[in-house]
Amino acid sequence: MNNTKAWTIGKFAFVAVALALLSGCATAANPGAMTVMAQAADQPFPAKLQHAMCVRTVSGGEETNPLWTSKVDNNGFKTALDGSLSGAGLLSSGSCAYPIDVNLLGLSQPIMGFDMTVTSHVNYKVYDSSGQPFLLSTIDAPYTAKMGDAFVGVERLRLANEGSIRESIQMFFDKLRASQPK
Amino acid sequence: MFGRFYLTGLLVVSALGLCGCAAREVVPVAMVQSGDEQLGCDALKQQIADNSAAEQGYEAKDKEVERQNVAKGIGSAIPYAGILIGATTDLSNSEQVKARALADRNEHLAYLAKQKGCAP
Repeated sequence: MNNTKAWTIGKFAFVAVALALLSGCATAANPGAMTVMAQAADQPFPAKLQHAMCVRTVSGGEETNPLWTSKVDNNGFKTALDGSLSGAGLLSSGSCAYPIDVNLLGLSQPIMGFDMTVTSHVNYKVYDSSGQPFLLSTIDAPYTAKMGDAFVGVERLRLANEGSIRESIQMFFDKLRASQPK
Repeated sequence: MFGRFYLTGLLVVSALGLCGCAAREVVPVAMVQSGDEQLGCDALKQQIADNSAAEQGYEAKDKEVERQNVAKGIGSAIPYAGILIGATTDLSNSEQVKARALADRNEHLAYLAKQKGCAP
């Protein structure tokens, strides 16, 4: 290979890889992609929780800056958790006996990579009708988005964020299934 | 010569991609821990004070990390070397996660203290 040809190939390959890893505008996490879908084989929830829960507050989320990295905001998280509760038959339609407060402690994200692992750290606080804490749970949920999931880095990071929150809600549901509400 | 330069750059970027520049592992303190119910008023008070001090330390460090990240973001605009500078950006949110976790832990400890009738 002569120098000119190597220069051209090298230049385009460098730009392509750098752009794939680094470029693009970041977009916020999609609530639909963070929602846990109920499966027929899932273990049932305690009867007292069914149609008796609601999301009271979500805090700690961050808005996405398109020039920086994809984040998860409070409204997106709340929509995803509401949808997950609804799908699982837990969301109350009237008075709420078990309100949930969520504190999104933060997302631990990689700056770049072919496989991107994001770990969400979330505190879920469930109270009973008398206002006493019924379930306080700190959940760390990692999720890896692979190169095959999305070629562009910012897109892959968003998928990892969404997957991590989905895992977090799934783990929270597992705790609810094992709980014994009074 | 230029071809080799770009190919070297390609190798560096690819290596960064492969290594993943993974976030630091973060383990926040759990809100509820075994033995909490057995804590007396003095122990609760001491833990709350220790947690508050640690929380303030993490908050200060979090601001410092944010400042460094902004500087690295600007530095990443430098051709070629910028990729290496940008790759050291810390998006683990380690200090923020730990500070917020401690605040929630203290909320629970304060609840226990109130339940036990401890003096504020």
